[in-house]
Amino acid sequence: MKWFKTRSYYLFIPSVLFLLIPLYGLGSAIAQSVRDNGAFTFQYYTSLFESERFLTSAGFSLQVSLVSSLLSLIIGLWITRACYPLLEKYTPRLIVWLPMLFPHFVWGYMVILLLSESGVLSQWMQMTGLIGVPADFPVWTRDPYGIGITLTYVWKEVPFVILMLLPVYASIKPEFYDLVQSLGGGAWERFKTVEWPHLLPVVVESFLIIFAFTLSAYEVPALLGTTYPEMLSVLSYDWFYGSVWEDRPLAFAAMSLMSVFLLMITCVAYLYLNRKRWRAMRGRIE
Amino acid sequence: MTNTLEIQKLTKQFNEQSILRDITFSVEKGEVLSIVGPSGSGKTTLLRILAGLEPLTTGTISISGQDVTEKKANKRSVSLVFQQPLLFPHMTVEENIRYGAKLAKKDSKRKTQSLLEAIGLLDYKDYYPAEISGGQQQRVALARAMATEPEVILFDEPFSSLDPQLRKELRLWVRTFLTERSITSIFVTHDTEEAMLMGDRVAVFHEGKFQQVDQPSTLLQSPNHPFVAHFLGGHLVIDEERYIPVQSCLFRPPSDTSYEQHEGTIQHKTYQHGQTIGHLFLESLGEKVSLPVQEGSVGAELSLYLPLDKIKRFEGGRT
Amino acid sequence: MSRNRLLFIITSALFFLLPVLLLVLQSVSETWRFQAGQGFTFQLDSFEVLTSDPNLWSATGWSIAIGAGVLVTNLLIGILTGKALATMDFKGKSFVEAMMLSPILIPVLAIAMGLHLFMIRIGLADTLAGVILIHLVPTVPYSVKIFQNAYRQMGSDLLEQPLILGATPVHQLFTVELPLMKPAIRSVTFLTIVISLSQYAITAIIGGGTVITLPMVFFPFLDTANASIMAAFSIWFAMIPLLLYVIMEAILLLLPYTNIPWRNRT
Repeated sequence: MKWFKTRSYYLFIPSVLFLLIPLYGLGSAIAQSVRDNGAFTFQYYTSLFESERFLTSAGFSLQVSLVSSLLSLIIGLWITRACYPLLEKYTPRLIVWLPMLFPHFVWGYMVILLLSESGVLSQWMQMTGLIGVPADFPVWTRDPYGIGITLTYVWKEVPFVILMLLPVYASIKPEFYDLVQSLGGGAWERFKTVEWPHLLPVVVESFLIIFAFTLSAYEVPALLGTTYPEMLSVLSYDWFYGSVWEDRPLAFAAMSLMSVFLLMITCVAYLYLNRKRWRAMRGRIE
Repeated sequence: MTNTLEIQKLTKQFNEQSILRDITFSVEKGEVLSIVGPSGSGKTTLLRILAGLEPLTTGTISISGQDVTEKKANKRSVSLVFQQPLLFPHMTVEENIRYGAKLAKKDSKRKTQSLLEAIGLLDYKDYYPAEISGGQQQRVALARAMATEPEVILFDEPFSSLDPQLRKELRLWVRTFLTERSITSIFVTHDTEEAMLMGDRVAVFHEGKFQQVDQPSTLLQSPNHPFVAHFLGGHLVIDEERYIPVQSCLFRPPSDTSYEQHEGTIQHKTYQHGQTIGHLFLESLGEKVSLPVQEGSVGAELSLYLPLDKIKRFEGGRT
Repeated sequence: MSRNRLLFIITSALFFLLPVLLLVLQSVSETWRFQAGQGFTFQLDSFEVLTSDPNLWSATGWSIAIGAGVLVTNLLIGILTGKALATMDFKGKSFVEAMMLSPILIPVLAIAMGLHLFMIRIGLADTLAGVILIHLVPTVPYSVKIFQNAYRQMGSDLLEQPLILGATPVHQLFTVELPLMKPAIRSVTFLTIVISLSQYAITAIIGGGTVITLPMVFFPFLDTANASIMAAFSIWFAMIPLLLYVIMEAILLLLPYTNIPWRNRT
């Protein structure tokens, strides 16, 4: 009966080996952020929190990624909800997923092409006389508010949100809707009692993925951001690769902080969802 | 006598719960053994263990004298037909049938042809499973299991997902098929009638073991355990020791023999084969019994007389 | 419904179809100056300039090699882990699932920075293998999820059938599992290649100056090239996942029990 006991656990070997890469990477980043010539130190973290540049950058990053993720989720949810039956068809789905064919920074270039001061939209508005000169067009790219970055992210992540939510809508049985309707529930009631419980785990998961990505990705801010304020990823990358070798530990400290922060909110979300699931189970037993 | 399948002292525990306790039996070459029992009693687990899909706790399984206890499912000469057809959706009917045969190195055009003919789907051989009906799919599943020419075929309620009419037809067809080719098989069902029809012998399965294994007629005439009598019906269980065939129960006291008398109430009535059947509850025994009644409406109180010379004792050892 | 339909058509056309269309048009047109009355003027110089750059070809080669390596590794890990997660039940499974998802929740930039020294020490820095390894981090979690769903949809009952009929696990993989998971394989191909193509920072860190991929050519181009050439370059990016997709499709045709497209039946 040996073969039953060893069962199929060998299937996990490749993924365990794979997990060593991010685990080692993160561990080593944290280790290098608290080491000064072999001695343990918190000095890099202290200097981070004393650095105006870092604090501004952190605030800016949080704001951009929070706005981007929330907008993506809301718009994605809204499109999926409104157009769900249509999205079951092949061609509409293909169109919605078209942006996914391009890397983020290429889509970022598209935003420049269309929405910069000399972009297609601006040109068209000048042609039609809506604005006089290019300077009349609002600064939407390489701007201090992160509008260009946010636009690119939202544009690119909405299809991702639809991709995540579509299977959820496909799995909701129409009988549930009929049930709510027969009990006299309106559209809001339908959303709250039928769709939301199904959606919640996927919405939370999508939010975490998009938030973590937009908070830490380098490419789009490098292309569409400005020098001040700059996103944390760009700042860290500069510290890591910049001319001053002494700045490198600051990059490790900044990225470690971000990682720990993201892991913490992931844990909170995980516990929250699990507690919900557990309560639902208990409700069934009692 | 040659036994194709021999099971010795098989037990299965799962999460410290005994699902199978000390099961020993054998099936002769070409014999069909039906296993009948209530749903959820562990019949399916038994089949899965025999097929090699699940581990057993103790015991041995031999096929044609060879110990296969340690062998994996793909190395056992056993086929299992499930409740659902579970055909491979990306293969045609013909490809499905030949799949296992190729692996067993028993693939031949002639055999595939004759199997397709036997299941009446020769014209459908290039169809995909999604394009044929549920009954047809189940026949293909059967042919697929046969094509590997296993020494034993196990059936796990293969007709339960079909509608009653189709079920009756397919039952008969499978029975003939198995007999004609003298295929050793085990047939699991929760339907007593089906078990009697399909099996040369019938095993009544309850609480992890076989309560009685006998030919259908023996089983019906002399159950050896109150559970068997209850489950198969046709008897009134008087107590743990005694029972009486329903047709021996009388509504008037017999003049020639002594009798036991029990009071009952008609709870409801049904009509079968042109007869009125009254479903009585006997208060003194705490038993229900169904038998033809001439008079009396629902709620009427009746006396039932059981002639002492018709009362039998359960022969089986108490377990 | 019809209002939603109209809304959807307008939204998707405006936000998803139109930008791509404009990109394509710009790539085959002189740089637009609508305000000066210069509209669409057909040209292919942009592609000529682009393809005459020797860096582009070597970068394309690197990107495809990395993409292929990342894809194959993803298929391997994704299929095995996905199968395990979909068919096995064990304590702490939801924790394992969360662990498998975690690499896309940790900044990959942090991971690449942390691995940098280690990669140098074991000689993987500035190599193809090193870059492939770091590109696994943002891709594998998706692949595992996609294959897990695919196996769950297949159902464990169906997966027992080949076993009963005498198939070895490898035979079962090629005759039943892979043919039934073609849609999942397609999704993974697409997603993996696009994500791998999107990595500038981590490729630069691990690849050093040796492994020059397409993004590393793209970024400096932005300062020198005109809109027409940049548009052509953007289109070039989209061609790579499409190319690998076609190759994967051809490979999938080799799987047993593949439904041949021209096979007809009434």
